[in-house]
Amino acid sequence: MKPTIRIQTEDFDLGAEYQLLRQLDAAVGAVVTFTGLVRDLEKESSINSLTLQHYPGMTESLLQDIVDQAAARWDLIGLTVIHRVGELLPSDQIVFVGVASQHRADAFEAAQFVMDYLKTKATFWKKVEQDGQQHWVESKDSDQAASQRWANDD
Amino acid sequence: MIKLLFFGRLGDFAEGVAPNIEARADLTPAKIRDQLAADHPALFAELSQPQVLISLNQMVVGWEQPVFDGAELAFLPPVTGG
Repeated sequence: MKPTIRIQTEDFDLGAEYQLLRQLDAAVGAVVTFTGLVRDLEKESSINSLTLQHYPGMTESLLQDIVDQAAARWDLIGLTVIHRVGELLPSDQIVFVGVASQHRADAFEAAQFVMDYLKTKATFWKKVEQDGQQHWVESKDSDQAASQRWANDD
Repeated sequence: MIKLLFFGRLGDFAEGVAPNIEARADLTPAKIRDQLAADHPALFAELSQPQVLISLNQMVVGWEQPVFDGAELAFLPPVTGG
């Protein structure tokens, strides 16, 4: 299994990441990709920008741990996680998860698992600027529930 | 010395907190938090929220874990990445 984990300020190219996964091995029969974007968090007014903070070193280790768990759980050929940090604007790409496997079920499930765990376990924090005011985004119970179901699955 | 880090919203409450504290015997994250109460009551209240996790040298630990000289102690509010 080839893992790729990157935390970066610069944007990423969805097509290029897909091609890397596709070309990993002749056994690849399925590639699932997920891309998370900056969206308007509040319905009433749109956001001006979003800043992502992380804990250098620890965040990479936590992502590695999530990738290792996915590799132990599903039959995977490649798994790429890219997360951006710094200041982002509405519609910017934030996160990429791409999974290559022989069969689609492994790729679909592993991609969802990685995203659910990333959202509840990886040390990233979002701050939103809206109408000249800044505030930190609150964590969501629905994300905790999504993460929890993988723990109950065993 | 022990290095203190405050992430996310905790960083806003930690303005003016010294980035390092002196190491001494029997120190724990709970004692370090309590030490901050007098000068930084708002920060102390935030750190006392049950959702706040702590890491020691980048590993999540409990509040009673011994903290030794040279350690990096981080206070982590609930994460919101992705």
